[in-house]
Amino acid sequence: MKVRLFAAIDIGSFELSCKIFEFTSKNGMKEIENLRYRLDLGGESFANGKISGEKVDELCHTLLSFRKIMELYQVEAYKAYGTSAIRETQNRMILLDQIEQRTGIKIEVISNSEQRFLNYKAIASRGEEFNKIIEKGTAILDIGGGSIQLSLFDKDTLVATQNLKIGVFRLEEQIRHLAGNNVRYEELLDEYISSQLSVFKKLYLKDRIIENIIVVDDYVSSIMQKFEKEGAGTAHLTYDEFVKFLGGEKNFHLQEQAKRFGISEDNMAHTFVSSVIIKRCMKTLGADHIWSPGVVLCDGIGYEYGEKKGLLTEIHDFRQDIIACAHNISKRYQGNKKRSETLESIALTIFDSMKKIHGLGKRERLLLQLATILHDCGKYISMVNLGECSYNIILYTEIIGISHIEREIVANVVKFNHEEFTYFDILTRNSLLEKNNYMVIAKLTAILKLANALDRSQKQKFKDIKVALKEHILSISVVTDEDITLEQGLLRERADFFEEVYSIKPVIKQKKSMII
Amino acid sequence: MKNKYLDPNYYYNRELSWISFNKRVLLEARDKQNLLFERLKFLSITSSNLDEFFMVRVASLKDMVNADYTKKDIAGLTPKQQLEEINKVTHELVNLQYSTYNRSLYPMLLQQGLQIIAKHEELTKEQAEYVDRYFEEAVYPVLTPMAVDSSRPFPLIRNKTLNIGALIRNRHKEKNELEFATVQVPNVLPRVVKLPGKEGMTTVIFLEEVIERNIGKLFLSYDIVSTYPFRIMRNADLTIEEDEAEDLLKEIEKQIKKRQWGQVIRLEVEAGIDKKLLGVLKEDLQVEESDIYYIDGPLDLTVMMKVYGMEGFENLREPKHEPAQVPELPEGCNVFEQIQKSDIIMHHPYQSFQPVVEFIRQASRDPQVLAIKQTLYRVSGNSPIIAALATAAENGKQVTVLVELKARFDEENNIVWARKLEQAGCHVIYGLVGLKTHSKITLVVRKEEDGIRRYVHLGTGNYNDATAKLYTDVGLFTCKESFGEDATAVFNMLSGYSEPLSWNKLAVAPLWLKDKFLYWIEREKEQALNKKPARIIAKMNSLCDRDIIAALYEASAAGVEIELIIRGICCLKTGIPGISENIKVRSIVGRFLEHSRIFYFENGGREEIYCGSSDWMPRNLERRVEIVFPIEDERLKKKIYHILEGELRDTIKASIMTLEGTYEKIDRRGKEAYSSQEVFTKEAKQEINKIKEGVDNRVFIPAKHLED
Repeated sequence: MKVRLFAAIDIGSFELSCKIFEFTSKNGMKEIENLRYRLDLGGESFANGKISGEKVDELCHTLLSFRKIMELYQVEAYKAYGTSAIRETQNRMILLDQIEQRTGIKIEVISNSEQRFLNYKAIASRGEEFNKIIEKGTAILDIGGGSIQLSLFDKDTLVATQNLKIGVFRLEEQIRHLAGNNVRYEELLDEYISSQLSVFKKLYLKDRIIENIIVVDDYVSSIMQKFEKEGAGTAHLTYDEFVKFLGGEKNFHLQEQAKRFGISEDNMAHTFVSSVIIKRCMKTLGADHIWSPGVVLCDGIGYEYGEKKGLLTEIHDFRQDIIACAHNISKRYQGNKKRSETLESIALTIFDSMKKIHGLGKRERLLLQLATILHDCGKYISMVNLGECSYNIILYTEIIGISHIEREIVANVVKFNHEEFTYFDILTRNSLLEKNNYMVIAKLTAILKLANALDRSQKQKFKDIKVALKEHILSISVVTDEDITLEQGLLRERADFFEEVYSIKPVIKQKKSMII
Repeated sequence: MKNKYLDPNYYYNRELSWISFNKRVLLEARDKQNLLFERLKFLSITSSNLDEFFMVRVASLKDMVNADYTKKDIAGLTPKQQLEEINKVTHELVNLQYSTYNRSLYPMLLQQGLQIIAKHEELTKEQAEYVDRYFEEAVYPVLTPMAVDSSRPFPLIRNKTLNIGALIRNRHKEKNELEFATVQVPNVLPRVVKLPGKEGMTTVIFLEEVIERNIGKLFLSYDIVSTYPFRIMRNADLTIEEDEAEDLLKEIEKQIKKRQWGQVIRLEVEAGIDKKLLGVLKEDLQVEESDIYYIDGPLDLTVMMKVYGMEGFENLREPKHEPAQVPELPEGCNVFEQIQKSDIIMHHPYQSFQPVVEFIRQASRDPQVLAIKQTLYRVSGNSPIIAALATAAENGKQVTVLVELKARFDEENNIVWARKLEQAGCHVIYGLVGLKTHSKITLVVRKEEDGIRRYVHLGTGNYNDATAKLYTDVGLFTCKESFGEDATAVFNMLSGYSEPLSWNKLAVAPLWLKDKFLYWIEREKEQALNKKPARIIAKMNSLCDRDIIAALYEASAAGVEIELIIRGICCLKTGIPGISENIKVRSIVGRFLEHSRIFYFENGGREEIYCGSSDWMPRNLERRVEIVFPIEDERLKKKIYHILEGELRDTIKASIMTLEGTYEKIDRRGKEAYSSQEVFTKEAKQEINKIKEGVDNRVFIPAKHLED
């Protein structure tokens, strides 16, 4: 049996961590090492957009020690992800290059939505336990230092996710200014969190019933896990049990609690804030059951690797979650569902038939699919500026599971579906897009534009098409009795861009159905 | 004061308790049941013990007095009061040492055919000629005599060395002034010099007598007025300012050099020393009268260890102890396969330490092994473990070794092999700032067919193959995942790679251990209050942590039966009405040094047993990295419990603490003669023999290569 080893590294805002995972066919994925090192990168990065030399030294030093452990296990691969602290540095390219030169470790920066998606994958990697929980209405509460992420499940699919700027450290910072005396500390915290959560509730909860809440954080869940490990059965708690576990509603003594949980007082202070967030969330959403799976980002990174390499049996269709989220966004902006479906069908059929030409993969196919779903969201704001408005909506709406760049790709594809294509120099002037991203945009735009042309009348005449590629001709056969003059006419115009990108000419072939 | 159990009246001073331990060792030297040379050895041990005690404990009390530090100890004594008490009892102890030597041992040695010539004046003519020739050929070239006068300052007298002081007078000078001269008795030559003698009699003389006899040859134009040997002890407690020490290694090297210069805290001189000579020493070394010991016999009795090691006299020594094989780990076995079958407990020195060496040796060559991590505290010279670790690194394994440079008096030794390991490519960690790493743990990471497997050895004793033949210790081999995870976390913590989150099985000092112990003791108290079975048996080297003792008092008061087996210091008082009536303290001093730490809690019937590296001392619980590990397997629990049971049954080598704090041998009337160390030795042999006899004789066993 082959034993495969992988290292996951998380450059968090307040902690560096590294886990070594073992993949075997017998045990699946198994954690072998768990290294954690406290390092406050976020403090500097958030305040002035830079990380001081001292911290960089410490970071490199720690990465070298992680590397030592990776070498010990002779890992076949690793992934090192940087989150918000790195994300918010201004000189990030220089910083990352420097770190790579000094440690040989390449750090990739992931967006909030990717990060949360990995956390979510980590939870889902718990398999059975997770699947059982999401049979009922469930929310995932992912508490970070700067923000929290609240995601809702409806019948085992993730339907909505929102980032709220009420992370532990941010709250501590803000409430400290307000709370003169400690007596009102919890009250103030609660009130502050409550106001933010009620907005979320109005927007997303609607008539959904949430019974369970799954918590991912560095504090409360690690304590719950610790006690669980010792056999106290604290991974699952009801609201009342949870309150009791934390030492009751009112009598909170930092020192005593810290001692009881065996953690530092500093840590206990953060734990306290985290627990207030959890309690308020449960109250607002009406959930009475809390589950702490005890996972961290590294678990998600490990899971992602195993998934990619086919080392794990699939437990949950994560792509469906992304698509469901997009559908929900489209719904919110009153998108035309029927039209989306037609576009999706046409565009994906074309995409699939041209694999050899465009050379794009599954991930880009997903982006194209998202673009079709969100193709008209901007009309909610302005029918005239449909392209620009759609672009902005997509750019500023978080879609869990895809990165910022990917979102920008989708937004551009949707925009250029409606507008003249803008070429590289201008397009990338104010963005992080690189050449390869640009090519994806061009290729996907060409396909979407073509698909759009084929459904110009919006009567779904081209819903079922067959596409065949022969040398430089892409023949699109459609069986319909309706008049397709409009489409054919438009195609000539739209096909220009398609031809420009692929050097392939699309042609429509109509077959009348047998029924006359 | 928070509770009544903290009253200083309920505690003994730790230094006095230590002296009382050394007295128990001395009693072994006086015990007629022991063989004569074994008695010499015990005498020698009391002497080296006392040296260390002075250098460390007395020295630091002196420092406190010098600094006007008046904080009282656990028993309510100020440093000054403690020094006064110590002075009184150490003088008594030294007197007892020499009366033992002069009145019992010396005459008996003579009887047995070993003559130690005390004074060179007693030499026969023939012997005197031999001695003079030996002096000229071997001794004279290595001597460095030093005289003091107005142009030459008082020379450096090195710590713990033996010297000969002399008053001399220049023949050619007008004025008849006395000058002081001194010469160090060289360490490079054996102190015991064998002489030609009568048939059937071995005759020896000590080197200092040889030099004294010939001292005139060192100061040629002088008359020798008087010569007497003397020896000093300096303040040598090594306190390193770690915050300032950039490179710990360099700092320790520096400190070792400095150690020679500490304040003189003890001066030993021969009884009857010339008053004038003594006056010079007193003045130049700045010693107070109370710190002078007038010795009636040879200075520095550690020399008796050399006498013990002399050829011949086999009937006067215990036969060399041969540890028994560990049945689960027969010679030539694959240690990893054996550990996979089940956890293994070893009881040294009754059982061999070789499997531990073999564990590391096999790991160093095994292609499946990825890494070896180990803590090393005190290692033997020429250690096979160090050699194996170096081989492992050369074979491309990741080897991490935590070397504790701060192991007292072993620093010099430690630095040498630490460098050796580094050269071989090991990752050597030189201890932790502010903490001594006292835990004994080894982790071997192996990539096996079905995944990563971690093998762990945890022990109560150091990874020292030499002391493992003399110290009683317990070791555990396991490859249980929970232990493997903890061991990994220990090393990640020690190497600064990671903060530990929580422990599965281990209790680790300085952060978690004390609370654990207090919790276990308190839990026993609760059991007693609930009328459930409640009993504590704890075996260790020293008990002097106030919080732990208070907790034990509280438990005792609640009805917990407490049996303590404490070899050395014990600040706890037994038999205080309403406080410690349920506590018994016993001390076992025997051929082997009792060293294992075992903690048993009856816990209402759900018994728990722990072993580890930690004593119940503040330094162990608060300033050291220590590991205490549970014994979980029922079969192994029985084995460990058997150790405690045997020691509680001991009627030969055990002494019981009396209500006055003295120790008395057990009144054996009506009791069987039971020496736990002897019984364990026998049992270990029986166990392996039983298995060997059971082997099918038709199976041929290929011979194994001999241990190198």
